[in-house]
Parts: sequence; structure tokens; C-alpha cells
Amino acid sequence: MSVDPVRRLRVLAEGLHAGLYAEEFLPLSYDRVWAIAADLQTELPYLLPFLREFRVPPGDADRKEAVAVGRSGLSETFEVRLSPGWCLMQSRRVVGGMAAVPEAGGTRFAVLGATRPAALRPVQWLYGHLLGERRGRAFLRRVAERAAVR
Amino acid sequence: MCVQGADESRAEPWETAAVLVPAAQNGDALAMDELLALVTPYVTRLCRPIAPHDAADAVQESLLAVFKGLRGLRDPRAFYAWVRTVTVREAVRVARRTGAEEPADPVDLARLGGLRAGTDGELSADVRDALARLPVRHRAVLVLRELEGLDEAAVAEHLGVARGTVKSRLHRARTSFRKAWSR
Repeated sequence: MSVDPVRRLRVLAEGLHAGLYAEEFLPLSYDRVWAIAADLQTELPYLLPFLREFRVPPGDADRKEAVAVGRSGLSETFEVRLSPGWCLMQSRRVVGGMAAVPEAGGTRFAVLGATRPAALRPVQWLYGHLLGERRGRAFLRRVAERAAVR
Repeated sequence: MCVQGADESRAEPWETAAVLVPAAQNGDALAMDELLALVTPYVTRLCRPIAPHDAADAVQESLLAVFKGLRGLRDPRAFYAWVRTVTVREAVRVARRTGAEEPADPVDLARLGGLRAGTDGELSADVRDALARLPVRHRAVLVLRELEGLDEAAVAEHLGVARGTVKSRLHRARTSFRKAWSR
């Protein structure tokens, strides 16, 4: 028995005490939804308003090193693990993740965001209580919007 | 302890875990994900006989509890023993939530003579069926004693019950087994 990608991301969110985790059923086909999530270079800047660019080397490798460039111009290198229904990205300071599984004619989709340094844990806890849920829902809404028009 | 699901050509699972645990405790999500993949087959193997009707839920609840509490684990080499404690507790809780507390069918109990994992580390379907008919408290005792090979004191510690309770539960299960066998 293997744990499906959404359940797997939920376990990681628990382990990372993630400030942002949201999960929702989207009434869109899995293929359509995951096509958005997996196209990191094109779609992440639409899904994350503070991101200007997300440069990913071409190819189908499931392990890649990507560079995120923020609106402020600051850049950060991410290790990326990408496979069907699963995406985990980690820099020195931040963790991001997305997961999807087909469910009853639609897709169950989840998103995770967490900070890494121990010093930021209280900030993450506060963020999780104040904004994490709302930001997570907003992310899921943007995924659904992008998938609907693709 | 034999932990199934890992590539035998690599390090033993507990050695791999001992390296991954500190990184995961430090917030390394990639290490945490590797640790999750490493330990899931073991958690599944424990949950299936204890919560056969709700194995997927038991596995998920166990993994959530394990990773939520991971930062509190002091000795990374004790990871698997700790996972076993957490998993048995969660699997019993899930099984009690939804499972029927029916007494065992003596004919099915007779099959418990084969209560050993196969080469893939999983119990055979008929042994799982037989276990499913036992009360949850007996399932947990049998899994820890017969499948995990723990002694009575260790089983008692895992389940938070007196050693005498473990002894009596084992005695009752074995008595039922003998009755079924002599027919």
C-alpha cells in the first residue's frame, strides 16, 4: 500500500509544521489540473504573486535545480522533485509543495508552504494562524482558474 | 527487526533513518520525504493486521502522528522502535473507532498457526482475515508478540497495559486456537 500524493503532502505539512497548507476538491480533470501545476516555469509566476520568474532547466528529469526570482529582484535556488501528481521544492529558507490525485470525476489538489530555519518557526506559527489558510485557498483558486482556461 | 520495502543493496533501513531523522527534524523537507517513503511499508505492515478494515486510514493517522512528533525524538537510532509504538497506538485507535469488537471464529483462529510474514513482509490474506475477526486488543497483542517478536514485557509497554493483561490475552487466544485445532 502506498500513500497517495495528497496524503503524503499532508504528512509533510504536519512534520514541517507548515504555515501554509490547503487542500480542496477541484471540479476539473486531473490531467488539466496537473498540467498547470507541473508547468512550473510558465505557471508559478501566475500562481504566486510575489514571484517574477521561475527558471527550470528543460527536460523530463524528476530532480532539477530551479532559480526563483522575486518581484524584488532577489533570487533563490530551489531543489525540485517533480513526478506525476507530486512536486516538492526546497531552498535554504523555504519549502513549497503541490500534490494532486483524481477523485470522483475531478481532482483533489493540495498546496504546502513552510519556512526552514528554526528561528522562523514562531513567525511560521503566527503566519499559519493569520494568513496561511487564506493564502492557501487563494493559491488553489488560481490553479483552478488557470486550469479552466488552459 | 526486519523492515521490508527497502532496497537490500543499500544500508539497513534503521541506518538510513538515523541519517535522515536529524535532517528532517531540522526542517529538510526532502529528507523528510525520503524518511516517509522509507518507513511507510513498515507502518503499513503493522497497520494491516490490527486495522484490516481501515488500513489506509490507520496508515495515514500513524504517519501523521509520527511526523508531527518527530522533532521530539531524541535518539535517531530509536526511530523504528518509536514508530512501532506510535503506529500500534494509532492503529488500535482507528480499529476501535470503526471496527467491530467481535470474538474470533474458532475455525479462523486455527489458521493463526501460520501467523508469520511472507517473503514480502506481508501476512497472507487468510491470516489477515483470521486476525480481522479477533477483538482489537487481541490483534495488537498477537501482532507485537508473534509478528514483531517482542517479549511480553515489551508488548505490555507498547500497549500501556500490565504484563499480566498481555499474558491473559495471549492465553485466551491460544486456548481458542487449541480448541479449534482439536476438532
